[in-house]
Amino acid sequence: MSEVEHVKTVCRSCHGGCGVIAHVQDGQVIKVEGDPDSPISHGSMCTKGLAITQLAYHPDRILYPMKKTGGNWERITWNEALDTVSAKFKKVIAEFGPESIIVGQGTGRDFESHFSRFGNLLGTPNMLTAGHMCYLSRIGATLTTCGRHPAIDYANNPKCIVMWACNPLWTNPDEYKGVSFWRAYEKGAKLIVIDPRKGFLAKRADLWLQLRPGTDAALALGFFHVIIEEKLYDADFVANYIHGWEAFVDRIKTDYSLERVAEITWVKPNLIRQAARLYANTKPAGIHWGVPTEQTINCTDFTRTAVGLMAVTGNLDAPGGNVFHEPPGTRKISEFSANQALSDAQRKKRLGGDQYKLASRMTIVTPKCAWDAILTGKPYPVKAGYLIATNPVVSRANAQEVYNALKQLDFLAVSDFFLTPTAELADIFLPAGTWLEQDHVSENWKYHGYVLARQKVVEIGECWQDHKIFMELGKRMGQQWWDTIEDSLDWLLEPTGLSWEEFKQKGYLHGEQKFYKYKENGFSTPTRKVELYSTIFEKWSRDPLPKYTEIPESPVSRPDLAEKYPYILNAGLRTPTFFHSANRQIPWLREIRPDPIVEIHPATAEKHGICEGDWVWIESPRGRAKEKAKLNDGIDPRVIVAEHGWWYPEVRDADHGWDLSNINLLTDNSHESMDPVMGATNLRVLLCKVYRCEDE
Amino acid sequence: MNKISLVFRKKDCMGCHACEVACKQEHALGVGPRLVRVLEKSSDFIPIYCHHCAKAPCKEACPVEAISRNEQGIVLIDDDLCIGCRECLQACPFGAMQFEDHQEIAVKCDLCVHRLAESKSPACMSVCPTGCIRFGSKKNVAAVFEMTTPEGE
Repeated sequence: MSEVEHVKTVCRSCHGGCGVIAHVQDGQVIKVEGDPDSPISHGSMCTKGLAITQLAYHPDRILYPMKKTGGNWERITWNEALDTVSAKFKKVIAEFGPESIIVGQGTGRDFESHFSRFGNLLGTPNMLTAGHMCYLSRIGATLTTCGRHPAIDYANNPKCIVMWACNPLWTNPDEYKGVSFWRAYEKGAKLIVIDPRKGFLAKRADLWLQLRPGTDAALALGFFHVIIEEKLYDADFVANYIHGWEAFVDRIKTDYSLERVAEITWVKPNLIRQAARLYANTKPAGIHWGVPTEQTINCTDFTRTAVGLMAVTGNLDAPGGNVFHEPPGTRKISEFSANQALSDAQRKKRLGGDQYKLASRMTIVTPKCAWDAILTGKPYPVKAGYLIATNPVVSRANAQEVYNALKQLDFLAVSDFFLTPTAELADIFLPAGTWLEQDHVSENWKYHGYVLARQKVVEIGECWQDHKIFMELGKRMGQQWWDTIEDSLDWLLEPTGLSWEEFKQKGYLHGEQKFYKYKENGFSTPTRKVELYSTIFEKWSRDPLPKYTEIPESPVSRPDLAEKYPYILNAGLRTPTFFHSANRQIPWLREIRPDPIVEIHPATAEKHGICEGDWVWIESPRGRAKEKAKLNDGIDPRVIVAEHGWWYPEVRDADHGWDLSNINLLTDNSHESMDPVMGATNLRVLLCKVYRCEDE
Repeated sequence: MNKISLVFRKKDCMGCHACEVACKQEHALGVGPRLVRVLEKSSDFIPIYCHHCAKAPCKEACPVEAISRNEQGIVLIDDDLCIGCRECLQACPFGAMQFEDHQEIAVKCDLCVHRLAESKSPACMSVCPTGCIRFGSKKNVAAVFEMTTPEGE
């Protein structure tokens, strides 16, 4: 055995970013540990990253390209695979136009620049991501309100932290990691937790606001009621930097009395008042928010209101508040993506583009529009697709419709590590490399001001890093790319004066942090102010002021339906071991979490004869899923909380049990249920009933 | 030399299970034995781990003296001596003793003695984001938490 070599790189088992030291022996990674020199993770690593060797060397992993013939998978060469995909795509383009090809990814996997470049140069405006209800919706909503995404500034010690629908110690490590939050908290910051569940943070919080799921926007407007009534805002900032203050104040006074907000949110008026006071009176204070606020019809309205709170309390771009980090000086994703290459004529064809203007501006479509086009041929046929690092039959709303649509495609290529239920629907499988198998200037798409060197540690089988797959497929389609990955990274880094080789040695770059930048230039919005009254939304004939829209399927909006489905299903409960639909085949992780969990209040469970550990059906008007009951007295008895992302790799049939415990069989993706500008699907809040599985 | 042990500050355990996976990786363990484990009950997290007891019931129960304490106070199993009788599993009041089905022997936390020898902290402790896992002098474990902060490492 040769000596153990230590290679520094960067994890991407979730959105990624944590520094890693990989231990390599005889060409194999034998162990990983956290890199204490990482400026953002400080040596910490979570279960998902620590288990990477079990993923990279998993016996089920597909290590070479494959084609499906007669229902069976057969090994082929990369040449044959890429030639097949490009020939099929060229045929679709010739017959129907490039818009008849969808290109889709899942959650952020640090190849956005390549993904978008491939789509733009292909000429299709129909790019599917998770962005309509995730990070990109946040970027879009903040862009229109204050010009840039304001991330909480843990490095400068907020004295009050509002943890809004988020547990960074387990998940959601965009920008800062859990360890940064914990350090700031341990220094004595006050903690306000907004969460329908009593979790670890809620128990530690100075104030815990247990709201009705999906009513975050109303609660944020309730904070504003207190701040306006008690004049807790920064009057100078409001006078100089808020656009539409009077109209906004009018709306709050007319529509959002504290009593009204309490009625909507289930949070007592006095508690809202205390929380708003604590946030507004403690300087600096930061808001760290999570996707549950965004995965409903109120997606952009919540974020706009939250930005408003940061702004009027003087915490926007203030040290320890929510800040606009300076980019590290690399080429921007938009430039790498060649957004300008997509013609106006093609842009106009973006599915749902007229309806979901903000999604369109973020260059994506909400998937519903793609499924509709595939299934109905309207407004034009969609015939082929390329999906990379995504498992939409498990992770997208209304899973049965997603499944039907993907089955309907004439041709589908999929890149992944494993034959997932989605990959099984494909004609061509392209084997992707894990983060141990790639060179990349990582984190360039985030708003924390860092890029970090993710360097290739090993090569495994014939797997290619995602970036190379886009590049080589793109070249076969006649697109302009670079000769090698290294060339493309050199180009990305060029403005910093570093080559990829030099950057790799350096490890990371950080933009120079400045504060209160608006004092010089204002905000990057049409009025140069924080637009509580959005001139952009006004132009789109949408409500320029944020508001709370009642969840379309709730006991309030649908009392008729609530008779049959009496509980609020809060779907998408996160775990510390899985990332959406990933990791169910990783032995160390599955041992910790063997079954999908649905949390039920003990009183509710008793009513239905459900005991801890029973398998139960959760059912909505659209479908049902089977999960294992866990009793939790830290949730409201009217609420059921269920994990998402479940399929069973150990089920060896091609469907891999995608329709057994898949909570998205229950979720809705009707246009009426989505955010009107972003097309955010409601993955979170709907009506359900729950009953024991009698056949178990 | 001070006798040392492992301590979890339960109130800071937030159920991330990173300690479990780090331990598995460090000891090259597959599915089955869990030398450290975090149980979840309602909204509480309960760490299960070896306390390296001064008067260790596992050691006392072992019929073949396969379990011993080293000079640091770390309770260890000698794999070659273990006969797989599981007496120690029965005896441990914390549920910390584990069984390895393939080799049919008992396994337990060794406090990462090999890492300690290199002046590194145990694997579980090295990944805990809240710093709720500590090791140190048995006599005054509370003081361990007072003296060492996550930044101080």
